[in-house]
Amino acid sequence: MEYKRTVIAGNVGFSTVIDEKFKTGSLVIRFMVPLDSKTAAANAMGMSVLTCSNSKLTTLAKLNEKLSALYGAGLSSFARKRGDVQILGVAASWINDRYAFDGENISGEMTELVRDCLFAPNASDGEFDADSFRITKKEMLDRIDAELNNKRGYAISRAAEIAFRGEPAENSCYGTRESAEGVSSKEAYSAYRKLLETAQVEIFYVAAAADPALEKAMSESFGAISRQAEPVVFRAKSPLRSEVVTESDEFDVRQCKMVLTFKSDSDDVFAMKLLSTIYGETPVSKLFMNVREKMSLCYYCACRTVASKGALTVDSGVERENIEKAKTEIIRQLDEIRQGNITDEELESALLSLDNALTQVGDTPNSYSSWYFERFCDGNIVTPEQQFTEYKNVTKARIVQAANSLSLDSVYLMLDKEAAE
Amino acid sequence: MEKNIITSPDTGDSCIHVKHSSGLDIYICEMPGFSSVEALFGTKYGSVNTMFKMRDDKEYTVVPEGIAHFLEHKLFENEDCDVFELYAKTGASGNAFTSFDKTCYLFSCSKNYQDSLRILLDFVQKPYFTQETVDKEQGIIGQEIKMTNDNPEWRVFFNMLRCMYHSHPVKIDIAGTVESIAQIDADLLYKCYYTFYNLNNMVLSIAGNISADEVLAICDECLRPCEDKGLETVFPDEPDDIVMPEFFETQPVGAPIFNIGYKCHDCRGQERLKKTMAASVASSLLSDASSDMYKRLLDEGAINSTFGTEVFNGDGYFTVIFSGESSDPAKVRDALIEETDRMLREGIDEKDFERIRKSTYGMLIRELNNVEAVANLLINAHMDGVGPYDTISVLSHMTSKDVLDFMKEEMVREHMVMSVIEGEAD
Repeated sequence: MEYKRTVIAGNVGFSTVIDEKFKTGSLVIRFMVPLDSKTAAANAMGMSVLTCSNSKLTTLAKLNEKLSALYGAGLSSFARKRGDVQILGVAASWINDRYAFDGENISGEMTELVRDCLFAPNASDGEFDADSFRITKKEMLDRIDAELNNKRGYAISRAAEIAFRGEPAENSCYGTRESAEGVSSKEAYSAYRKLLETAQVEIFYVAAAADPALEKAMSESFGAISRQAEPVVFRAKSPLRSEVVTESDEFDVRQCKMVLTFKSDSDDVFAMKLLSTIYGETPVSKLFMNVREKMSLCYYCACRTVASKGALTVDSGVERENIEKAKTEIIRQLDEIRQGNITDEELESALLSLDNALTQVGDTPNSYSSWYFERFCDGNIVTPEQQFTEYKNVTKARIVQAANSLSLDSVYLMLDKEAAE
Repeated sequence: MEKNIITSPDTGDSCIHVKHSSGLDIYICEMPGFSSVEALFGTKYGSVNTMFKMRDDKEYTVVPEGIAHFLEHKLFENEDCDVFELYAKTGASGNAFTSFDKTCYLFSCSKNYQDSLRILLDFVQKPYFTQETVDKEQGIIGQEIKMTNDNPEWRVFFNMLRCMYHSHPVKIDIAGTVESIAQIDADLLYKCYYTFYNLNNMVLSIAGNISADEVLAICDECLRPCEDKGLETVFPDEPDDIVMPEFFETQPVGAPIFNIGYKCHDCRGQERLKKTMAASVASSLLSDASSDMYKRLLDEGAINSTFGTEVFNGDGYFTVIFSGESSDPAKVRDALIEETDRMLREGIDEKDFERIRKSTYGMLIRELNNVEAVANLLINAHMDGVGPYDTISVLSHMTSKDVLDFMKEEMVREHMVMSVIEGEAD
């Protein structure tokens, strides 16, 4: 495997990962801007419309027909948040030319297609094509409405909204329904232009062989734009509240959800990750073994770190009558770690689990792309092996210190309506 | 033991198949350059297998719904500890799942795969249940059933199956119901275990950063020979017609969701694979993102990008499903009927057929790029009674006439059902 990052224009990085085992080429272009309630929806729509059509393939049907003819090549846009940063982008993937029946130049055609989508969109007079924009807008509104369909995901989003209230990270990466409804085609187009001119951009290409034509195309296209990138802050610790806030919603559901958000002022991200692994990321973690297995208080109970905000969340599926008991036990298990009750087996198994996960980086194009992008955001581009060395150097004392730095900040409850009546 | 090398004539990919002396079928795919390993140890025993007998039994045994899934949960405990604790010592990530027609135990890892494989082979062959642990599991699975009932995608799918099937157990939730799992006890679990977890009814598939010789040596060490007792599973008679054409349910959803399905005739082995591929190409031709119907429905705001298709089949059931979010599912159903009629009348455009064939081929090539997907492909193909690379071969020999024939015979309006989950009124 060869990894290389070059700067191809002002604040535009182009990383390639060449690994000959892959049968596909994979391209991800990420635009990063500060997450802001005023611009989130227009940004998301301005990016999303780019994969609906372009100046040559002027309808979604024509674009999809072309992708289908290129052996089902994939093209999509995405929006997500990482702490206080909104990340928008376009992802494309295709099979290697050597698998084409008729000697088609799939990679060349996809390079051109992606370039047209990004730099020659289906737009005129400062607006996107009306049909493409209408489809995109409906899609965005449907996506926002459908968040409730996934109850676990919805509960985690609501918990973030409560925990990070008053900070950029309280916002959804799509904006609110109201703000999305109000975005016009002109505003989405302006947002798109602004992203091209001011966003920090990172491009990742993962394939079996380098593609100089792709790098050249991206370099020329970004180079032709007068760019002045706005800085983004990838890590902004969220301040702890003076009192724990509890909020709830009621729905016609059969299983309640509880999400606890803890906050920390610690900068020891490696100790925090090990703490999280021991506490609730694996089936032998304290939360799984005790809260679920021994006490049968939750069907699931797991934790994850939100390093970009200095937070850790525990989410669970729980029956209403067990909510208080589960909450007490979840906190008691953290207290165990705070008091240093970590066995050698627990530490060893957490390290083994991390080692296995890190060694698997590189088995899919996406895992390479995500790994190097996350390290770029961390400001420290290291290999998975180097990262594992950091984990190995974490002592129990550092884990205890990380646990003691955590305080409960907020609680979100999704309650069952019938029981409430 | 003979190692048979199976090679795809279309892509050059290959794997090894061994019929082990214990009775187990083993598929191994060494994937140079990859770091991870994925292994699945599975039995042809899923939620639909509620009625069975052995060669020497006079009567069929009927068991409560959800017992295959219950058994999967219980096998994770052995006499001394939880299986997860054993995997914690190797760093592997262990898991299991029960589907309609299979139960699989799996792990993924990148180091110490040999030890993890020993753990996998050992615990699946060593059941240990007590009435006390069975009682406790009823509570945990009861919670799982509640959780899946809150999942609208799950509900809309099962409601659709209930519209289609009169008697076939595919219409029953994989985990059963709180009432059905209350009938399960340790003795019944042992009976099901010794019936279905016979190595002659099981498969091991393993792919990634492995050595075939090492895998086989571990199999020799860990597998306990089983006598083939002639397992026979049966299903209640299922008429061709549907139960009801539509069903609506209300749930807290932000956007209404639907499943529209055709109840088709079931078949097995190569015939099922050919039919599956014809159904897949037919549904893409009718409604993929480049089709006229998709464009029209999108323009009218009746669908969004969640719209998709699936061919869902197994022993005794075969369906083609169109699903997504829509504020007007009836419009989608009408458009589907209209488009099917048009295609049957006018035939299939050869250019479109070729494009969809290429697109499907591209998807299959992508599968071979991924360790987890390859391990799953190997086990699924065996359980379906076909070779690992037969799908690509079937696709390369398929003609547009095969697709049209499928549509004519199976996409019949009278056998079409629609299930909808609507949001609660404000």
